[in-house]
Amino acid sequence: MSTNRNAARMKPLAIAFSSLLLAGCASFSSDGGLDTVSAFTRERTGQAVQRDSSAEDTAASASAVKQFLTQPLTPDAAVRIALANNKGLQAAFAELGIAEANLVQAGRLRNPGFSFGRIRGGDNIDIDRSILFDFVGLLTLPLRTGIESRRFEQAKLQAAAQAVQLATDTRKAYFNAVGAQQALHYAGQVTTAAEASAELAQRMSRVGNWSRLDQAREQAFYADATTQLARARHNAVAAREQLTRLLGLWGSALDYAIPERLPELPERLTDANDIEAQAMRQRLDVQIARQGASATASALGLTRATGFINVLELGYANKSQTGEPRQNGYEIELALPVFDWGTARRARAEAIYMQSLQRTADTAIRARSEVREAYSAYRTRHDIARHYLDEVVPLRKRISDEVLLRYNGMLASVFELLTDSRAQVSSVNAAIEAQRDFWIAETNLQAAINGNGSGGGSTEIRGQAVAEAQPQH
Amino acid sequence: MVSRRNFLASAATMVGAGVVTRVGAASLPEAVIMETAATQAPLAPPNGRPYHPVVTLNGWSLPWRMNNSVKEFHLVAEPVVREFAPGMKANLWGYNGQSPGPTIEVVEGDQVRIFVTNKLPEEHSIHWHGQRLPNGMDGVTGLTQPGIPPGKTFVYEFTAKRPGTFMYHPHADEMVQMAMGLMGFWVTHPKNPDFMRVDRDFVFLLGNYDIQPGSYTPKVSTMLDFNLWTINTRVFPGVDSMNVRQGDRVRIRMGNLTMTNHPFHLHGHEFAVTGTDGGWIRPEARFPEVTMDIGVGQMRALEFIADEPGDWPFHCHKSHHTMNAMGHNIPTMIGVDQKGIAEKINRLVPDYMAMGERGGAMGSMEMPLPDNTLPMATGEGPFGNIEMGGMFTTVKVRKEQKPGDYSDPGWYKHPKGSVAYEWTGNVPAATRAPGASLSAAGVEYRARKPQGHQH
Ligand SMILES: [Cu+2]
Repeated sequence: MSTNRNAARMKPLAIAFSSLLLAGCASFSSDGGLDTVSAFTRERTGQAVQRDSSAEDTAASASAVKQFLTQPLTPDAAVRIALANNKGLQAAFAELGIAEANLVQAGRLRNPGFSFGRIRGGDNIDIDRSILFDFVGLLTLPLRTGIESRRFEQAKLQAAAQAVQLATDTRKAYFNAVGAQQALHYAGQVTTAAEASAELAQRMSRVGNWSRLDQAREQAFYADATTQLARARHNAVAAREQLTRLLGLWGSALDYAIPERLPELPERLTDANDIEAQAMRQRLDVQIARQGASATASALGLTRATGFINVLELGYANKSQTGEPRQNGYEIELALPVFDWGTARRARAEAIYMQSLQRTADTAIRARSEVREAYSAYRTRHDIARHYLDEVVPLRKRISDEVLLRYNGMLASVFELLTDSRAQVSSVNAAIEAQRDFWIAETNLQAAINGNGSGGGSTEIRGQAVAEAQPQH
Repeated sequence: MVSRRNFLASAATMVGAGVVTRVGAASLPEAVIMETAATQAPLAPPNGRPYHPVVTLNGWSLPWRMNNSVKEFHLVAEPVVREFAPGMKANLWGYNGQSPGPTIEVVEGDQVRIFVTNKLPEEHSIHWHGQRLPNGMDGVTGLTQPGIPPGKTFVYEFTAKRPGTFMYHPHADEMVQMAMGLMGFWVTHPKNPDFMRVDRDFVFLLGNYDIQPGSYTPKVSTMLDFNLWTINTRVFPGVDSMNVRQGDRVRIRMGNLTMTNHPFHLHGHEFAVTGTDGGWIRPEARFPEVTMDIGVGQMRALEFIADEPGDWPFHCHKSHHTMNAMGHNIPTMIGVDQKGIAEKINRLVPDYMAMGERGGAMGSMEMPLPDNTLPMATGEGPFGNIEMGGMFTTVKVRKEQKPGDYSDPGWYKHPKGSVAYEWTGNVPAATRAPGASLSAAGVEYRARKPQGHQH
C-alpha cells in the first residue's frame, strides 16, 4: 500500500464532487412525470390520464368507471374509461417510472467500495487494500443526467402517444361495435323477410300452387340469410369484445350498454385549413423525432467541443407502437488524446446527427401526407354517408313504396315485395356502414393531426357491395 | 271528365263544343280537331250524296269540304294525349287531336281528296286498308310513295269505289306508329241509302298498348304481352255503352289492329256476321253466332235485332283482354293460408295486406295504386263491382230510347222477379258416386284446411 497512490486519488475526487454540485442533485418528482403526460393527452383527446399507484387510486378510478357504465356509452365516455382502466396503458405509465428512476440514478455516483487482495508467493505474502471509486462515472455524471433527463422527456411523450393511440383505438372500436350491433339488427330483418318468403312458398307448394323448384329456391335464400345472420351475430360479438378489451372491462362490468344507433353525422365539418401546420405542432411522433434530433445535437456539440468525449445515441425506432417502447440507449466514451485527435469521432457524430435530422424530416413529411390523406378520407366518407342518407336510402324507400303500390294493383307478387324489402334493408345497412366509416375516418383524422397518424396504412375506399336484389319471380 | 253516364247530352250536337277549328293554309281544308274522348253524335252529311251516318264509339267523324264535287278531308298526324279511362292518360300519336283518328265517311263513287299533314317527329304515310285505289295512293312508304317528311303535307286522291267497312293506318315505321295509336275508321256508304239499312251503326277499332304502371307512354317494342286492350283506345270503364231502342236493327263494325285475335261475344242475342273488309256477305251465306272471332288486320260487321231489353255485355272473350294492367307473373294464392306470414311481412312492409287467398276479386278493396294506373278489374254496376276492364262494353236496349237518341239511359231497371235471387230453402247434401274422391294423388284440394307446417 502506498500513500502516494492514495494522495493522487484525492484530487480527482474533489473535482468529481464539484461537478456533482454543478450537475445538481436529481431527485424524484411528485407526479413521476404524469402531469406532463396528462396535459399532452388532454390537449389531444380532451381527456386526462392518471396512474393508479396505490390501492386508493385504483378504487377511485374503478368507481368512476362504474359511474360511466350506468348509461349507454358515448364515444367520450368510452375513451375516459379506457384511459382510466386499460391495464396496458397503466403498464406504459410504469415505463415512465422506470425512466424517471434512471434519471435519478444518473444523478448519483456509484457508492465507493473497498477491495482487499492477498497474494502469496513462496514465503512472501502481499496484502493489497484499496478504496475503489467510480472515476469514469464521476466524470460522465453531468453528461448522464443531461441525457437521462432528455430520455425522461421522451418517455413522457411516448406515454402520451400511447394514451392518444389508446383513445383512437377505443373510439374506432366503439364505432365498430355500435355499427356491428346495428348491422345485426338489419340482418335479422333480412332473415325475417326471407323466412316469410320461405314459409309462404312452403304453404303454396303444399296446396299445389307452387313448384318444388320455386319452393326450394325460396328455402335456399332463407338458408343463406340464416348463415348471414349467424355471421352478423358473431361480428357484433367480436366488435364488442374488441371494445371491451380496450376498455379493460371484465366480470360484472361486461354487460355495459352501447347505444342502438351511431351518432348522427355532424352539421359542420373540420376545415382543411391549417391541418398540416396543426399536425406539425401536435403530432407526438413528430415531437419525439424533433426532440431526438435536438438531443443528438447537444451530444454532437459536446463531441466537437472536447474532441475526447464521444456521446452516441444508439438505436432508432421510427415509431413507437402500443406495448412496444422505443428501444434505444446511449454510450459515452472518454478517449485519451494519445494517438487520435478525435476527427473520426467527430465525423461519426456529425453523420449521426445528420441522420437524426433526416429522420425527423422524414417523419414530418410522412405526417403531412398522412394528414392530407386522412382529411380526404374524412371528407369522402362524410359525402358517401350523406349521400346514403339523403339519396340512396330515400330512393330505396321510394322504390319500396312503388313496389307496394304495384303489389296492391296485383301488378307485382308478394315475392317481389319481399325481395325488394330485403334490398331496402340492405341499403339501410350500407348507410349505417357508411356512417360508421365516417366516424372512423373522423377518428383517423384526429389521430393524424394529434396522435401518431395511421402508421402509413393506406385508406383506400372500396365500393360498397350492395346486392341489387332482383325479383326472382 | 267523361263517362258513360254523361256522354252525349244532345244528339243534335254535330260537332260539339269540344271541337276546335284551326284554319289551315288557303288551299287546304280545315283540319278539324277533337279534344274530348266522349262519343260524338253521328255526322249528318251537310252536302254531297245522302247516307245514314255511323256512330264512332268514344270518337267522331271528320267533317269535309266540297271542292268542285271532290270531298276534301284534312288529317294531321300529331302527338296527342288520350284518356284511356278516368284516372289514366297516355301520351300517344293520333290524328286531329285524338287516337284513334276521326272516322271518315264517304259514299260509293265519291271522288275523295285527303290532305295528310305530318306533325310527327318522323316520316309518315297512310295506308287506306281495304280500298280499291291506284297503286300510288296505297300509302306504303318506300314501295308506292316516299315517306311524308315531318312538317310536310301530302295529298291522297282516289274514288271510293266499293261500299263497305275499312280503316286507315300508317305504313311508315308501322310497328312504332301503330303502337303509338295512329289509326282510324273508314266507312264507304252504299249509293242507295236503303241498301242493308240499319237503325244504329256503331264502329270502333281494337288496339293494344303496353303502358307500364306509373308511366304514360306505350312501350312500342312490346310484341305480345300488352297490358291494355282497347276499344277505340279506351278501356272499360272508359268505353261508352251502345245505347239502342228495343227492336232496332243494330250493326257493329269492328277492325282489329292488335297483335292477336279477339273473339267478341254478345250477350242476350244472336247476331249474323254481315260484312268483312272484303265486302258484304250474301244473306244466304250468313249464319247465327253469339261470338265472332276477329283476326289480326281484319274487319267485321255484325248485325242483330235488339229485341231483349236490358244491359247486355259485349266483350272480347279472352279473359285477360277484359282486364286492365295486371302482373303476369303473380303466383296463385288461392287456398294459401297467409296467417302469421302477413304479420311477419307487416314488420317490414307496414302497409302490406294479404291478397288472393280467396281468389282474384278485389271489388271491395280500395288500395293506392301506382300513378296513372287503373285497377285491373273495375267499373261500378247497379249490383256492385263489374270486375272487368279492357275490351268490355255493353249494349243497352231500351223500349223508351228515341230514334236518333244515343244518350246513356242509365242502368236497366229489371221487372220484378226477373233478377237471380238467393235460395233460402233447404240445401240437400250433394249425392256422390260411392268411393269418389275429390283429391288427385298427392294434391290436397281441401285448401281451407292446410296441414301443420314444419319449420
Ligand atoms: Cu281479346
